[in-house]
Order: sequence, then structure tokens, then C-alpha cells
Amino acid sequence: MEDKRDEMMVATFANHYGAVQFKKTVGAGCTLRPVPRSLSSSCGTCAFFEGPFLKEYVNSNLEAVYEMKDGTYIKVYEN
Amino acid sequence: MKIAKEKRNLAIAGALIGIIAVVLVLLGNPKNMGFCIACFVRDIAGGLKFHSAGVVQYVRPEIIGLVLGSFLISVLTKEFNARGGSSPVLRFCIGAMVMIGCLAFLGCPFRMILRLSAGDLNALIGLLGFASGVGAGSFFLSKGFSLGRTRAQAPLEGCAISLVNIILFVLVIAVPSLFAFSTSGPGSMHAPMVVSLCAGLVVGLLAQRTRMCMAGGFRDLYLLKDGTLICGFIAIFVFALIMNLATGSFKLGFTGQPVAHNAHIWNFLGMAVCGLGCTMLGGCPLRQLILAGEGNSDSAITVLGLLTGAAISHNFGLAGAAGAVADGAGLKTQGKVAVILCLLILVAIACIKTFAEKKED
Repeated sequence: MEDKRDEMMVATFANHYGAVQFKKTVGAGCTLRPVPRSLSSSCGTCAFFEGPFLKEYVNSNLEAVYEMKDGTYIKVYEN
Repeated sequence: MKIAKEKRNLAIAGALIGIIAVVLVLLGNPKNMGFCIACFVRDIAGGLKFHSAGVVQYVRPEIIGLVLGSFLISVLTKEFNARGGSSPVLRFCIGAMVMIGCLAFLGCPFRMILRLSAGDLNALIGLLGFASGVGAGSFFLSKGFSLGRTRAQAPLEGCAISLVNIILFVLVIAVPSLFAFSTSGPGSMHAPMVVSLCAGLVVGLLAQRTRMCMAGGFRDLYLLKDGTLICGFIAIFVFALIMNLATGSFKLGFTGQPVAHNAHIWNFLGMAVCGLGCTMLGGCPLRQLILAGEGNSDSAITVLGLLTGAAISHNFGLAGAAGAVADGAGLKTQGKVAVILCLLILVAIACIKTFAEKKED
């Protein structure tokens, strides 16, 4: 089965509330999930969302945004 | 697909850890205590003479192995990352309160699962308390609770707790007379030191690779409807249960359970303190040891809080006494007061950090 998340962007946060705020800003097409193990050894909440990443999505708890390419995460923004 | 892989890895790691835990009991560890982070940190506090409860004094190599296993694998995989600075004093205090809650129940979330796998129904009460505590913590997280962002630290800061563990182990081997060793009770019961150390190293490695965490498992279930992290502990339960049934160690009931008491309210509230505190800290005691090994100095200070909490528990008679309530076991008055105070203080900290300080962010 195709994993549609491979075509998405991933945002990581300093805390769960940052992810909740981010989801409210991005709206539909944004899903909160545990941070993938291949991305980080921490076990917080991340947001999968459809690109592009816009500056107005940034909140004070946003840590970084990654783009998925060929199964790897490429950091495109760091807060 | 990736989530399925993570679940599979957690299930395999959980199965191995469940088996290792029962084997450690067969090799000498106290019953239902193949692993217990709270009990083992408490034993280390006793071994270091931080408290004088003669039956729980032994420098448990499993704990040293857990930290070093995580340290070694994180260095090898380039995941070692020295970071910290997120409310260290609060974390120290919360760590101490988590330990007071755990010792009221007589075990950490890890041992709670192992007790349950051996038929100890008191652990089921503890599990309900723990799930309630994590539920309360998850509520605060969803409303904005945070202990603050971590920042990059110097590598030595991240290594410090691992170096302390290495020095401790060398001293135990080279100059054992420095330490206290129980001659009776749970502290006197242990697997051979090398086996315990290796078991700790393997479990530390597995827990680092899989991010196994009991508090995180419930938290993700509540907040994200995701059951990935909880898979590890389900696997520990299933495989420890199989091993206990196979070795005749399974005994269903509330009474006559090893190193346990049947004071239900205090089993529930003790683990509620643990669940709430662990969610505020971002992980259960096992996870704190693993994160400390990975270079997280906030978790290292939490581990020192756990150690201090253990000493406080035994020096002031706050820990639960094993046995049946009808025979005078359970918690003394000061233990009951301490559990309620810890719960109130944790809720107060959570409220302040959620509602009063949220605007700062």
C-alpha cells in the first residue's frame, strides 16, 4: 500500500501544544502524529502536512520543518 | 508502512525485554522484579548509603547498563546530542515526587507490567492509577503545558551521567567496602553482576532504538490516538506472561504477591502521581535513564531527582510495606500524606506552567 506521507512535509515542535497550534493554523490536510523514529530519537508530536511551508505557519514552539524526498528527511527550516 | 515497522520493532524489543526480565528473576533478582527502575534506583540510593533501610541496599548494575547501553548506541548511531536547560530544578523535584509515588506502589511502570504478567492484580489497580495520571498530564499538555525548550549543551554536560555510572561501576568492583550491601530482603537478591550489567546494556540499547516509554504510550493513545509506543509494553506483558506461566511463577490474586501490598487506594494514587509526573517530564523512569544516556542533561537531573526521592521515601518512612493490609502492610500515615501532597503539588505545577506561564510563549 502506498504511503501518502512520503509526499508530505513534517514539522517538529518543542512541545505538544506547539503542534496543536500549528494544526489550527494549517487547517485541513494537517495530521498530528508521533515523530517518526527515522527522523528523531525523541518521542514528541509532529505534524504531517501538504506543502508548501509558509512563514505564517511558524509559532514559537516550532523547531524544524522537513521535506520528505526518497524516504529521507531534508531540513528546510529551523526555528 | 513506517508506523507498522516501528510497531514491529517495538514488539520485538518488548518480547526480548520481557524474556530478559523473567530470566533475571530466575538468576536471582527478586520475584516480579527482573527490572524495576524505581526499585533499582532505590537500591542504589541504599548502596550509596543515602538511606539506611538495610533490606534495599545494592548498587544495581542493570541501571548502570541501561544508561551506558543508551550512551554507547547513541554515540555509535550519531544520535548522541548534549542538550538541556529545560526547568532543571522543577524536573529534579518532579523526579523525586515520581519516585515517592512509585515506592508507595512498590514499582515503576515497567515493574507494574511485570507484576501484572505474574498475576499480581494489585498492579491492575496501579495501571488504572497510572493511566489516570497520564490522562491528567495529557490534558495539561493539550492545553499548553511545557517545562520549556531544551538548548544545546557542551558535550561533557551530556556525557556526565554516563561517566558517573562508569566510575560507580568501577568503584563497586574495585572497592566494594565503600558501599552497603543488603544481607537479607530484596536488596540481597540479585542475578550475577556481569549478567545484570549485560542485561541492562541490551535493554538500554533496545529502549534507545525503539524509544520505548510507558507514559509516552498512554499519552500518544490519548492525544494522537496512536498505539505505536504502547506496543512495546504489550509485548513485554505477553512474553513475560508466557515465561511466568512456563516457569510456574504465575499466581493470580491480590494477596500473597511478592514485594507488593493490597492497599488499593494507595496503589492507585501512587501510580497516579507517577503517571502525572512522568507525563510532565516527557517520559517514564526507564525513558529518563535512556534519554540521560543519549546526552539529555534534563533527564540526567531527573534521574538524580529519582535517586533523592528514593532516599526521602525510606528516610521518612513513606514507601509502602509489602504484605497484606490486614497484617499492617501498605502505607503509614506519613506515606499517605506524602502521596496526596505530591499529587497536589504536581497539579499546582501543571496549572501554573499551563495557564499562568503559557502567555510567555
